[in-house]
Amino acid sequence: MAGRSANGRHGLRGHAGRTAALARLLHKDCIQLLELYRNSESLPSSPVDGDYLVSIPPLVPQLSDEEKISILHAALKECLRLLEDVITREDAEFSDEDSEYKRKRKTVRDRLGHLLASTEQLLVDGQKFEAKVKEELDGQAASGSFGLKMWIVRVLQDLVHWTGQTSDTLHSMPAEMEKAPKTMSRRTRRGAGKIRK
Amino acid sequence: MQGWVTLALLLSLGVGCSLGQNGVGELPVPRGLTLNPDLPAQTLSLTWQSDSSLFDLEIFHTELMNVVLNETVAVKTDPVTGLHSWTWHSPLPLECTSHSAHIRARNQQSVSQWSPLQTIPGWDIPEKSESNMFPQDKVVPVGSNMTFCCIVKEKEDFKEIMYGRQEMSATRLSRRTYAITATNQPVSGNTGTNVICCSQRLTLTGAVVFVGYPPGDEGLVCETRDLASAECSWKKGRDTGLRMRRSRTKYTLNGRDCLEANERKRWWCSSKAWEQSWTLVARNPLGTVHLMDSAQLTDRVHLLAPVNVTAVEVKAWSATLQWSWSVAAYKKLEMVCQLQLFAHELNSTRNYSGPGLSSVVLESLWPDVDYTVTLYCGSKHGFWKWGDKSAPYRIHTKMDRPDALDVWMWMDSSNTGCVFWKPLSVRKSHGALVGYEVSQSSAEEDGWTPVSLPPGNFSYPIILNNGSDITVAVAARNPAGLSQPSTVTTPAYRADSQLSMSELLSTNGSFVLSWQPNANASSGYAVEWVPTGCSGLCPVDWKKVPESDSSFTLNSDSLVAGVRYTVSVYALSTGAPTLLQRWQGYSQEMTPSQSVRELLPNQSGSDVLLSWKATAMENQRGFIRGYTIYLANAAHLELIANISDPEVQSYRVKGLSLSSYKFVVKAYTSAGEDAGATVAIKMEMDTADMLFVGILVPLGIMFCCLILISICCYKKREWVKKAFYPEIPGPKVPGDWSSPQGPLDVKPSPHSLVHIVESPEWDFTKEGLFPVPEEEEESENDNIEVDADSDEPALLRYYNQVVGDGSHGNQVSDSSGSSNTSVDSTQTEITYAGIQSPTSSQGACGGGGYRPQMQSVIGPAEPQIEFEADFQDDGLHAGYKPQCSWQLDSPEAENFSGSLGSPTSVTSSQFLIPESSEEKPQPSNTWFHNFLSGKS
Repeated sequence: MAGRSANGRHGLRGHAGRTAALARLLHKDCIQLLELYRNSESLPSSPVDGDYLVSIPPLVPQLSDEEKISILHAALKECLRLLEDVITREDAEFSDEDSEYKRKRKTVRDRLGHLLASTEQLLVDGQKFEAKVKEELDGQAASGSFGLKMWIVRVLQDLVHWTGQTSDTLHSMPAEMEKAPKTMSRRTRRGAGKIRK
Repeated sequence: MQGWVTLALLLSLGVGCSLGQNGVGELPVPRGLTLNPDLPAQTLSLTWQSDSSLFDLEIFHTELMNVVLNETVAVKTDPVTGLHSWTWHSPLPLECTSHSAHIRARNQQSVSQWSPLQTIPGWDIPEKSESNMFPQDKVVPVGSNMTFCCIVKEKEDFKEIMYGRQEMSATRLSRRTYAITATNQPVSGNTGTNVICCSQRLTLTGAVVFVGYPPGDEGLVCETRDLASAECSWKKGRDTGLRMRRSRTKYTLNGRDCLEANERKRWWCSSKAWEQSWTLVARNPLGTVHLMDSAQLTDRVHLLAPVNVTAVEVKAWSATLQWSWSVAAYKKLEMVCQLQLFAHELNSTRNYSGPGLSSVVLESLWPDVDYTVTLYCGSKHGFWKWGDKSAPYRIHTKMDRPDALDVWMWMDSSNTGCVFWKPLSVRKSHGALVGYEVSQSSAEEDGWTPVSLPPGNFSYPIILNNGSDITVAVAARNPAGLSQPSTVTTPAYRADSQLSMSELLSTNGSFVLSWQPNANASSGYAVEWVPTGCSGLCPVDWKKVPESDSSFTLNSDSLVAGVRYTVSVYALSTGAPTLLQRWQGYSQEMTPSQSVRELLPNQSGSDVLLSWKATAMENQRGFIRGYTIYLANAAHLELIANISDPEVQSYRVKGLSLSSYKFVVKAYTSAGEDAGATVAIKMEMDTADMLFVGILVPLGIMFCCLILISICCYKKREWVKKAFYPEIPGPKVPGDWSSPQGPLDVKPSPHSLVHIVESPEWDFTKEGLFPVPEEEEESENDNIEVDADSDEPALLRYYNQVVGDGSHGNQVSDSSGSSNTSVDSTQTEITYAGIQSPTSSQGACGGGGYRPQMQSVIGPAEPQIEFEADFQDDGLHAGYKPQCSWQLDSPEAENFSGSLGSPTSVTSSQFLIPESSEEKPQPSNTWFHNFLSGKS
């Protein structure tokens, strides 16, 4: 988290700066959401057994910032899908009474959608990455309500992780990134070609 | 020997063993034991074949071979299958660990061999290496006990099992299985109670248990809204605490799913057709409730709200209301309807009935009033309940002409008065008034003279030109028209002074009036009350009383406390009102708001006459019952008089001594005293006394004192003389002064300050007079300075001093100070400004006697220089140089004498008298000297 300073190391401005700020805000929201869920379910703070649900190609240093953003955008997209699954399943299975957790859950969903839309504008033209989800909800929920709850925790842990990654990456971007989009696009294409090899 | 013993033991053991084997061996071992687990139900069914009917059963936790059941059961053969079957309910989920069972037949004390062990594997076998917890998603009632087990995955440690937030004590069942038992479980939260199994670093697995109650619904009631279908409702009852979708309560009505309730929208179900009886079944995983209801349709009519409510004809005093029904079947229903009318202070409820009621006429409304109407109906026969209320509907009735005004005329003099009328209330104005019309007629003039007044006016002045009565008619006007005129004829003016008014006492703030019935009061009576003494715009009020009454209670609401009212009763007829009686009184007396006026004290000798005037009537606030007079002391008021006659407005305070007094006069009513008026007076003497005391007495005292002083002085003249006019002792000179040895040149010492020291034991024989040596050089200088500063010539001082008295220090200090002030009590410094010289002449010196200095006045500065020079010269000659050596014609002597300026004696007992005419002794001195000397 050290890199997630208020204004970024390079003093991002404009759209990239706003995206970075939104990512940082969303990251905090996700932390609070996970905490609210743990408290409401009396779950221990120890992590749930299992890896992250969403997997992406490794963010190696050779990747350009734009490529990293593209990969993280794909991860966040999967996170949003998982979160919407969580909301649907939770509301169907459990009480639909209002709670602070549910209000925060809605906030995270909305802001995650905004962040996706915002990062989409920073993506390289025509370059698409896809993230994978290792375990879907159906397999986990077969073990009962507790399995569903653990899967929700894992989704929320993924949200914390990937929004944090995105926030860090956005804040580490150079300030001049958005000033020369065409140049960046060319450079990004070259980098993307390498990845595909 | 030993061989025999061993053989015997072996034989006995062999017999024992063969006997035992014979007991068992008689019963065949049960065959074909099979175990059929029901995992959700946590039951294990055992089936076997055997000819016996009594069996011993043992069930183990296989891994640790812990016996969990050891029981003897009687099981008969199932006639269909020919098998024995027995079911065991396990407190532990069967998945938790492997279970093994075996069975043997029993016949009283003989048993068969145990059947081979049959085992059902648990989830803790090595093939299932993951973590698991059982049971999952159980729904149990509140207060139940439950056992959970955690199977730890391979190669993972076990730390704890949490039940909610509570850490539980776990029991190990196998290598990987641990169990807890939750007792008396409380109701779960929204998402159930979590049971979580943790290792040191991870949350391994867990389960959710839903603890709640069976359905608590009650009170099923079915009714119809449209005279065909049914709507059944009930009370939800206790919350089951089960909010999981699959745990929620499911409802069926007469066997049909109740969708409305199952969607948790409302606690009611609908049915398209009315049925005679209704059964609601409420079911959840913990129980089922059956609710019953049965009724005729006509007894359960709950009408819907009337719609399209409108007022078709609105008048001033009535309106016709119409509405319609959304259900056509209502048109034939005998119904009763209730209308609620809401208006400001005009709320009412009215009932109407009829078949398919859809219109009513609202009577007895008030003109120009906003009404809000709400309507609801019910079935008249077999009334069940009022139907839904219609939406509020607003009706505003039309205006009507105002009611007649209540008019009165008040005369404040013989030819002036005022017509008053009371404002009309909303109920009487029947619409907002736009004004009043006042008409007057007199006997001399024909017809009426109308005047229009704006609505804010409630009076009109009347002037009688010829002293004849006039009649005034007043009518109110609103947009609907003019009211009936109210007429009043001027009553005869009767001043208060012309009547003998009685005092009117109030009862609880009200006046209870009664009067003799008057035959002329054909139109009743009028009671009028007005503040006494009021002039101009007075708050005149009145009340008309029917002729049948001869009493009236004037309530405190229309009276002001502390105000004196004049209350009059008039007889009303077709002509002018006739005054019958008049009173004055206070509804509530209060203490006067102001003190008495013009309080004045008037001293007469040792008496003081206090006089005052009563305060104005409007400040009296009650009938003045008297006055109290107080003498104000420092801390309190001392009552000195209480005058109970309010007409007495003076009081004489007698026998006062010469001092200052403060009097307080207070008027009092029945409510108490006022704050009081204060007056102060300082008692003074009369003029003759002042003359006597102020002038003659001091003069007499002074005269007496003078006489006494004179007598005293005369008697003690010797002492006085000694004290104030001592004899100057003669100089005592050593040597023979009788015969002169030559011409004496007596020169006074240049520093000719001589001290005469007086001692109380002054003795002339002693050497008491000596010249004071000029102590030090500083002293000399000081003296010189003093002399130089003074306008006077050099002073000669005589000090009477006791010889040998060590008071030189004082002298030194004295000499440094003012040169002509006395020193202290033991020393008297006398400066003789001019004493008559004794008989002496300038030539006396030649005669060897004392020769006074004869000096002419010369400026003071020069002699001092000379003085110092001489002093130095004199210092060469030890001893005293008599004055005879002083030569009169010496210019030094002349200069010196000039510095002296006043009679001075140096070492002489004689006073030195200058010959200067300016320094002649005063006659008074001479007289006083003679007086002291006893000379005439």
